[in-house]
Amino acid sequence: MSYLKDKSDSLQTAAKTIPASAWFFMSWLVLMTLIPFFIIVGMSFLERTEFGNIRFHFNFDNYLVTFNVVYLKVLLKTLWLALIATASCLVVGFPVAYYLAKQAGPMKQMGLILLFIPFWTNFILRIYGIVSLLGNNGLLNQMLLHYQIVDSPVRILYTRVGVYIGLIYNYLPFLVVPVYSALEKLDPTLREASFDLGAGRIQTFFKVVIPNIKEGVFVGSLFVFIPMLGEYVIPDLLGGAKEAFLGKVMVDQFFTMQNWPLGSAMATLLSVIMLFALILQNRWKKNSGEAHAA
Amino acid sequence: MPLELKSLSKDFGGFRLSPLDLKIERGEFFCLLGPSGCGKTTALRLMGGFETATSGSLFLKGSDITKLPPHKRNIHTVFQRYALFPHLNVFENVAFSLRLKKRPLSEIQERVKEALKLVEIENLATRKTNQISGGQSQRVALARAIVDRPDVLLLDEPLSALDPALRTKMREELKAICKKVQLTFVMVTHDQEEALQLSDRMAVMKDGICLQVGTPKAIYEDPVDSFVARFIGPVNEIKGEIVEEVEGVHAVQSLCGTFKVKKNGVALPKHISLLLRPEKMRILRTKANVHDNLIEGQIQELSYLGSRTEYTVKTKDNAFKVFEQELERQKKRSLNPGDKVFMTWRSEDSIVLPER
Repeated sequence: MSYLKDKSDSLQTAAKTIPASAWFFMSWLVLMTLIPFFIIVGMSFLERTEFGNIRFHFNFDNYLVTFNVVYLKVLLKTLWLALIATASCLVVGFPVAYYLAKQAGPMKQMGLILLFIPFWTNFILRIYGIVSLLGNNGLLNQMLLHYQIVDSPVRILYTRVGVYIGLIYNYLPFLVVPVYSALEKLDPTLREASFDLGAGRIQTFFKVVIPNIKEGVFVGSLFVFIPMLGEYVIPDLLGGAKEAFLGKVMVDQFFTMQNWPLGSAMATLLSVIMLFALILQNRWKKNSGEAHAA
Repeated sequence: MPLELKSLSKDFGGFRLSPLDLKIERGEFFCLLGPSGCGKTTALRLMGGFETATSGSLFLKGSDITKLPPHKRNIHTVFQRYALFPHLNVFENVAFSLRLKKRPLSEIQERVKEALKLVEIENLATRKTNQISGGQSQRVALARAIVDRPDVLLLDEPLSALDPALRTKMREELKAICKKVQLTFVMVTHDQEEALQLSDRMAVMKDGICLQVGTPKAIYEDPVDSFVARFIGPVNEIKGEIVEEVEGVHAVQSLCGTFKVKKNGVALPKHISLLLRPEKMRILRTKANVHDNLIEGQIQELSYLGSRTEYTVKTKDNAFKVFEQELERQKKRSLNPGDKVFMTWRSEDSIVLPER
């Protein structure tokens, strides 16, 4: 209860302190995000007619269907996929962030620009680019065949691996940047102090560097994990539509099955899961924040 | 001999620390003193292992540690900005080195407690590092560095981040703590008072070169050149020429008169600079109680500083700084700018250097 009370208090003070210039953005958020979100939530409690229309009849049937074993399996599979892809992003992205944070001068700027250059290209085009790289006649396989590393093309496209590659490629910068900025803020004399007191490089990394940047790592991971949960284009184009991921299933409910209430129920459920992840992060931040503020 | 530097040098391209030879004795408090950019911090970082020497070698208790990384040297550093670990509380910061050595918990607790007690912050053990003041952080950094008794403790301008009032207080406490722990200390500072108060011996550096090594008294009373003399404290300078010598007493002729200088058994060049410390000169209202040397002048400016009064006295071709202790001043008539005065000093109280 006190938690809720705190929340409403802080919301009120927040509303008072919003500068005039931010009102445009705030109204935009309300209009384009908050209201559609509540429409979806509302719709999830309605009913679909045989012809795909919506009947205003309040019920929980859509949620009962969503909690069906088939859909739960899809949900779990999606969570698992996003988890593995996030972990892989971390493995690939951490050294990049570490390297960039250690550089000085032009190399640093250059690296950051390189990281974001792909975003100047349309998302779908980039994914098709990957298709042409990974396909049986793609650049990768042609090279492997040419140098006789393999006898027949390696099947990457339209497999789970293809999906991971696409996800990692697309989301990597969103993880690298928070980790990079956390590393950047880390006082270099802390590492020296650690060496000085007898810790080697590896011990220093785990005992001093990681504990001081874990928040950045966590935020970066959430930045990639949450949108991955709803991702459907990448699994669709690179996974060959063979596997049902939650995003894909939802889109199908909306646009193929014309079952908007069921799709809404799934979307609401996913949003709740994401909300939990965010609350978790907030809690963590608050805890460490209190320690810093005092 | 805990620490010995043999022609240790570092070339950064733009800056160069010239080969440095130092022998730091066991239990000694050694200061590297100099203005910023003199190479004192580089020397300290070479000792700590944070820079690799371009040439020369470094010995710790007889073994060559020139190429050893910092974590393999039994030398700890108190960093200028303390570098306390923000993710650990005070206790864990101090326990860091002991935990790395995987000491038993009971021993860790005992030794950390002991170290915290030594620096008088036992009550802060569970605090976060951002919940303590600058002076307290200083103490934590010190406790963290002494807890596993390193062979040498390096202090990188440990007091410079504190405000002036606290700095003076911490200086005294640092001295007391060092006496108690009986380790070997090497401190870098640009504050000559700090160096004078704390060190057993010090090295005065400038532009990457070590100019002089000695006890505070030797450096103050017998500097090798005018830079050292000026850096360690204020001086007045008279340029002159030695015109005669009688049994160790030289007569120096200068534009403001002829002065006597007593230097036994030292050959002096003809052209010299006579350096006089302001506190070694006395200011006289009348020509009474005169020492060996006398010079006449007019008070240009005076600053009352409580414990002493500082006068600037103008002579024909020069200006002198003279300090007068409060006890002495009280006995006499007050002086004002414009007053005619005499300055006097003993023939053995001047520093003689070859003229630059």
